[in-house]
Amino acid sequence: MDYPLGVDIAFLLLAVLAVVSAWRVFCTDSMVRASFFLLVSFIAVGVIMMLLAAVYLGVAMFFMMAVEMMVMALFMVMFMMNPAGLNPMMMVHQHRLSIGAGVAAFVVLGGVALLADFPVRPLPAGLEPVRSLGEEMLGDSMLIFESAGVVLLTTMVGVVVLASHRGRYGGAAEGSMPPGLEPGGEPAGMPEAEEGGGHHHHCH
Amino acid sequence: MIIDELVLPVLMVLMTLVAGVYLVAVIDRWLAGAFGLPQGGSAWLGPLRRGAWLLTQHANATEAPDWQAWRLAPALYLALAAMGLAVVPWSATLVATDLTTSVVLWGSVEALATVVIFLHGWSANALFALIGAYRYVALGLSYILISMFVLIGVALPAESLQFTQVVTSQTEMWNVVRQPLGLPLFLIVGLGMTFWGPLNLADADDLAGGTASEVSGPPRLVWDVARAAMLVAFSGVAASAFLGGWLGPWLPGPLWMLIKMLAVLVVLLLLGWLLPRVAPERCMTLMWVVLLPLSFVDLLWAGIAALLNG
Repeated sequence: MDYPLGVDIAFLLLAVLAVVSAWRVFCTDSMVRASFFLLVSFIAVGVIMMLLAAVYLGVAMFFMMAVEMMVMALFMVMFMMNPAGLNPMMMVHQHRLSIGAGVAAFVVLGGVALLADFPVRPLPAGLEPVRSLGEEMLGDSMLIFESAGVVLLTTMVGVVVLASHRGRYGGAAEGSMPPGLEPGGEPAGMPEAEEGGGHHHHCH
Repeated sequence: MIIDELVLPVLMVLMTLVAGVYLVAVIDRWLAGAFGLPQGGSAWLGPLRRGAWLLTQHANATEAPDWQAWRLAPALYLALAAMGLAVVPWSATLVATDLTTSVVLWGSVEALATVVIFLHGWSANALFALIGAYRYVALGLSYILISMFVLIGVALPAESLQFTQVVTSQTEMWNVVRQPLGLPLFLIVGLGMTFWGPLNLADADDLAGGTASEVSGPPRLVWDVARAAMLVAFSGVAASAFLGGWLGPWLPGPLWMLIKMLAVLVVLLLLGWLLPRVAPERCMTLMWVVLLPLSFVDLLWAGIAALLNG
């Protein structure tokens, strides 16, 4: 134990923050709030990673999760027909399945934490975490990481294309006409059609 | 140990923050006077008077705001500015936090600022504030990207993500000469991220004040202070990344750093008064079509130079 007491205190506080804010994600009724509670949880985990000497990964967690949660909140609001994410909405679904999955995951992870025999591996002297991580990612494993990156990017583009095909007023291929006020009626909110070209009358 | 690692860094950051914010307000008033705007009273007392006035004002309330986020957002923005100032080195040894990944930490400050500015507008539950918030998110993503490429450019010759190493790598030649595109791009990002002057699109006049349109009293004071503090943090990072930080002849390092920070601040505030205002849509096009490709060029330039010298 050659680290100061402050590390233990910081770990405990951050762990509590991470768990509590993660729990709040499921209690709130707003997509935007849920995204940012998740962000707080991830930031707390990022600081814990920094305590574990993963200096780059911890800091990378901050900016990656910040941008990711911001973009996620934005896309959710855009796709969910919930103006600006201000309307309350239920943030959880499939209650029985998710409770079951949660309990199973807790039991398995708790069991691992309590029963597994963790190896003691102190940091080697002269370790440069950033350099060694860079050499790992851009050295022998570069092909794996780069292909994973390209696959993820393609997936994101594909998902947006598939999901945005159907818009608020029907399929994208059919044009965007708002629905009528009564079933089968004229499209709502369209300007009145004038006879014989309205512009011509007004200008002499 | 506690004094060295906790008290001194906090004091250092706080002093820079207070002095820097005050100087931003004073210099901006001088410039406003020089550009012909009538100024009541002295430039030295003006900011203090406005601060005191805001403190005594009533804090506005809207219908059903997200109180926690609304009140926290200005404080969080100020905290992000303080985090940025904490990684700025004043000399080889005088750094509040000499993190090995301080350049990346600054990148995350910029990313988190987007979240905080969005929250500030979103949580007010008011129309103009909300439009300002979404407008900033749309623009903020391009600011983050430009700044990230430019900063990777300065990390390449240093072969490190640490600001102290970035400064040391400029012993022979400053990055402002070596990578001429870097500093101008970074300054524009700085104006954008603090929505200062022509790039004030999030709190713009056409939105009746944007994200801050419903904010008055003490929260408004914190918000204004936080924006100025972020500008100070930007000048500190710009001075270390492009102008050789504490390096310079005759004078001691921290003094050089102070001179360079002040110079960048004056340039930023001048740009704020001189550049024309762009409409948000055109600004978006400008960012993605012109400035982002320029930042690619900057990075490519830095990469080729690093390969040739390495």
